[in-house]
Amino acid sequence: MIFRARRGVRLSAESFEFSFDGRRLTAQQGDTLASALLAKGYRLMGRSFKYRRRRGLLTAGVEEPNALVTVGSGPFQVPNVPSPQLRLAAGMVITSQNRWPSLRFDLASLAQFGKDFLGAGFYYKTFMWPSWRFYEPLIRRLAGLGPAPRDCDVAPPDVRNLDCDVLIAGGGPAGVAAALAASRSGARVVLCERDSACGGELEFETATVDGESGIVWIAAALAEVQRRRGLVLTSTAVVGGTNGLIVALQQSQGLPGADTYYRIRPRRFIAAMGSVERPLAFIDNDRPGVMLVNAAESYLARQGVCVGREAVLFGNHDRLYAAARRLAAGGVRVRAVIDVRPTSLSQTSEGSRAALAGVGIECLVGHAVLRTLGRFQVRGVQVASLEPRARVRTVACDTVLVSGGWSPAIHAGLSEGGTSTYLPQANGFAAGPQPSWRALCGAANGIFELGEVLADGHRAGAHAALSLGFSFDSARAPVGQGDASPHLYAYWRAPTGRSGERRQFVDFQNDVTVADLRQSLDEGFTDIEHVKRYTTLGVGTDQGRIGAVLGAAILAELSGRDVGVIGQFRARPPYQPVTMKTVAGLRAGALLRPVRRTPLEAWHASHGGMLEPMGLWMRARYYDRGGIDAASAGCEEAARVRAHGGIFDGSTLGKFEVVGPDAAEFLDRMYLTRASTIKVDRSKYMVNLREDGMVLDDGIALRIAADRFLVTTSTGHADQMLSHFEYYRDTEWAGRGVSITDVSEAWAVIVCAGPASRQTLCAVLGEGWIEPLGRLTHMGFATGEWRGAALRLLRASFSGELAFELHCRPRIAIPLWQALVDSGLLPYGIEALDILRLEKGYLIGAELNGQTTPLDLGMDALVKAGNPCIGRALMDRGGLHRVDRPMLVGVRAVDGRSKFLAGAQLTTPEEHVRSSGYITSSAYSPACGEWIGLALLARQQAQAGNVLLARDPLRGTETRLRVTSPVHYDPSGERMKS
Amino acid sequence: MNRLTCPFCGARELEEFLFHKTLAEPGSSPYADTYERVSRMEESLEHWQHVSGCRAWLRVRRNPSTNDVQEVRCLGSPEDP
Repeated sequence: MIFRARRGVRLSAESFEFSFDGRRLTAQQGDTLASALLAKGYRLMGRSFKYRRRRGLLTAGVEEPNALVTVGSGPFQVPNVPSPQLRLAAGMVITSQNRWPSLRFDLASLAQFGKDFLGAGFYYKTFMWPSWRFYEPLIRRLAGLGPAPRDCDVAPPDVRNLDCDVLIAGGGPAGVAAALAASRSGARVVLCERDSACGGELEFETATVDGESGIVWIAAALAEVQRRRGLVLTSTAVVGGTNGLIVALQQSQGLPGADTYYRIRPRRFIAAMGSVERPLAFIDNDRPGVMLVNAAESYLARQGVCVGREAVLFGNHDRLYAAARRLAAGGVRVRAVIDVRPTSLSQTSEGSRAALAGVGIECLVGHAVLRTLGRFQVRGVQVASLEPRARVRTVACDTVLVSGGWSPAIHAGLSEGGTSTYLPQANGFAAGPQPSWRALCGAANGIFELGEVLADGHRAGAHAALSLGFSFDSARAPVGQGDASPHLYAYWRAPTGRSGERRQFVDFQNDVTVADLRQSLDEGFTDIEHVKRYTTLGVGTDQGRIGAVLGAAILAELSGRDVGVIGQFRARPPYQPVTMKTVAGLRAGALLRPVRRTPLEAWHASHGGMLEPMGLWMRARYYDRGGIDAASAGCEEAARVRAHGGIFDGSTLGKFEVVGPDAAEFLDRMYLTRASTIKVDRSKYMVNLREDGMVLDDGIALRIAADRFLVTTSTGHADQMLSHFEYYRDTEWAGRGVSITDVSEAWAVIVCAGPASRQTLCAVLGEGWIEPLGRLTHMGFATGEWRGAALRLLRASFSGELAFELHCRPRIAIPLWQALVDSGLLPYGIEALDILRLEKGYLIGAELNGQTTPLDLGMDALVKAGNPCIGRALMDRGGLHRVDRPMLVGVRAVDGRSKFLAGAQLTTPEEHVRSSGYITSSAYSPACGEWIGLALLARQQAQAGNVLLARDPLRGTETRLRVTSPVHYDPSGERMKS
Repeated sequence: MNRLTCPFCGARELEEFLFHKTLAEPGSSPYADTYERVSRMEESLEHWQHVSGCRAWLRVRRNPSTNDVQEVRCLGSPEDP
């Protein structure tokens, strides 16, 4: 059966093939998936969320709750696309959702034949034993929307930025009138229309504007807007936004998910997003064949599709009659128009009824559709007068077109604290007061007559332009005449008993019925936001477009309150489904974070360095020599440093030059350790604190000249430390003579450690460096050149061995590194570095957790010699000196060989509940021949020799440990000073 | 508030800036200065850094309920108290 009646205004003759659930179907250029399927006679298009009931198309727009499909396959698969929104293209692959094994036969739909329908909260109340988690995976598989793609779509999305004076969302009559008004004043306008063409209902409403037919006027007006530098974007939906940044998505035809993401910065925003027609509640109002009146008109006018052969129209306003006339003219046999209004309130359509009766269409006033009949789709309706004890009669039909009025689309007016108020004359909610940069107009304001809609749009556009300082030569609003006022009547659901309420659907997408609303009230959830969460009314992709107002009105009826008091729950952006990929934009894959590379990274990469991201840096964890694991390789490298020597790439250290007459004083304030006492050409280990007295970072300060210091920071804290320095330069010590320059990337750092380091450096650096290499004592440094580039040689050690840091210009980093390697110093990575530091009790990182003071970390001597600095005052708080404060200690296994890992909790052997501390770092030490660790342990437990239990329930181990000094190796430090 | 107007760089994307803190009441103790944060509907005084731009530290006065930025000043300029 072919339902294509005539050529729709959007169609062209060109046809192509696409695939739906594995079948090849043809469509015409201009078809949406919904119209193409309707044209082929498809009725069943989806299964409902909870009960798996058969569902057909309800709407012709993005608000479609039933007919959601998955488009594409593999990484390009996009789930939950409303089929009326999906413009078809040749070769598109589309699958229906939420059914198994097939759309026509779905096993889980048997759920609805149980004793009762599953009421609100059913799952959570029923699946309690043994636990919800036991059932959750199965239930999630049954109830749900389309699956997310498993593979990663690598194609980068298209992100564009737009600036304009006035942004208008919606290209219906109100939006176009607003755009015209604003652009005539000289304002730069951007108009976004969600649909593939502007005009809204002017495409099917019998209307004239300024003496022309509606769509002719729209085309002329848009041409004028574009002539005045305005931009008109079709298939572009405004999906959300805040003050200053509105986000819109442009659907690209034929490439699902390849949307263009617009970031629009308008100075004024006008939301002219129209209204959404809503159904009325009657029994089995979700059966395939029930559709909104607007949708039927849209499919007929735009794609020339008759939505059925024999239709009954049911509603509560005058527009039913105009629609019946147009549908009948288009080839739909209209069996009856059922107007629920009492005779006294429907006199305005007396003439329309007479005209329809003249062409043989029955009109019933004061009647309601009680239920639909049929098995797989609508075969008829039961109709009765609303008089008491009225006779029920059956009207045969295959389509029920229902209209319960229109809910203004106020979503855009609700963000940033927007409110809504009930508008009785519109039977809907209007947005409350708007911020100065935003306005709503047209049907979104509850105005449904074309003339008034145009005037409201014009007013909004003109007002926006005037408020921006633009002015008009002449400002005349377009004059239009369309369908007359609908004369709405507040009516929401057909009469029924309690059992019928289980089949009166309010929210189609979430299977919420009148019975669910009643149950929610019975169980004490009376606030609309609670009802939403308890029943799921208005969640999901349609965000209550269909069910919000209907639900609020029925709640009002059930609870005897006023709809205005019940209110509307807050609909959240996005206003339509958006793929995560689009939101991520360019911040994905390799572009997620920049990668920082040291001057030596290329060498590491080509010499077996196992590079791993650490912060933004790529650093070598160890150097692969024959496939041993990281831990063994680290042990080997660490042992080699102690036996002979090794080199390490320390270029990632933060390095700042602090210069000026007040530099020394500034650093004294920034660090617990005094910088002003450092002599020129000497350096010092430095510790600094946060304002609350906790240790922030440690590093070295080199005094290059009386007024010039180079301070280093740990790799991980470099960015934070620079901001920290700059903050105090600009606040507490503003006006002092000090400048701070980040020179981190101007110097590569090669750490050269081990007993052989001195003689190797003598050989590699050459003649001029032999004297300083012999002369320098611990923490001294010398400056010079190597191969014509600046080189600074610092004697400092973080491995406990004789060691030097070479700060050199990046261009000589690789030659210098290679020369050292050629002279017998092999590189070591982070793994070995951490072992070497741990053996000497130097902080690794986990100890600087933002909760430890210098006293906790055993820096008592530094504190005594310290000076007033940031954080010093709060460090003296009594609580930070209690006996249960953590203290840094070393730990080793009592048996001298057991393994233990960081994270294990330390308790006394008798204690099972309270932890006295925990292990912060641990590793196998090749120098000690056993596992060693650092721990933060309550001070009263921290005497050396104390035996504790390390409990590691996550890994299922318990180890007896004894407390030692944090310095596990060479406690007197003789190797370092050699 | 998706942009801040840096006194040096002009109006820039918010993601270039780093929020540091809301300022405590003037003249409070070091303890209050460190731990207490003032949260007012009408006006909030905050420190931000133009961290991915000129790195200036800024004092931002804004209305948290409307997101209107009333003033962005550079910290550390000689006239700054």
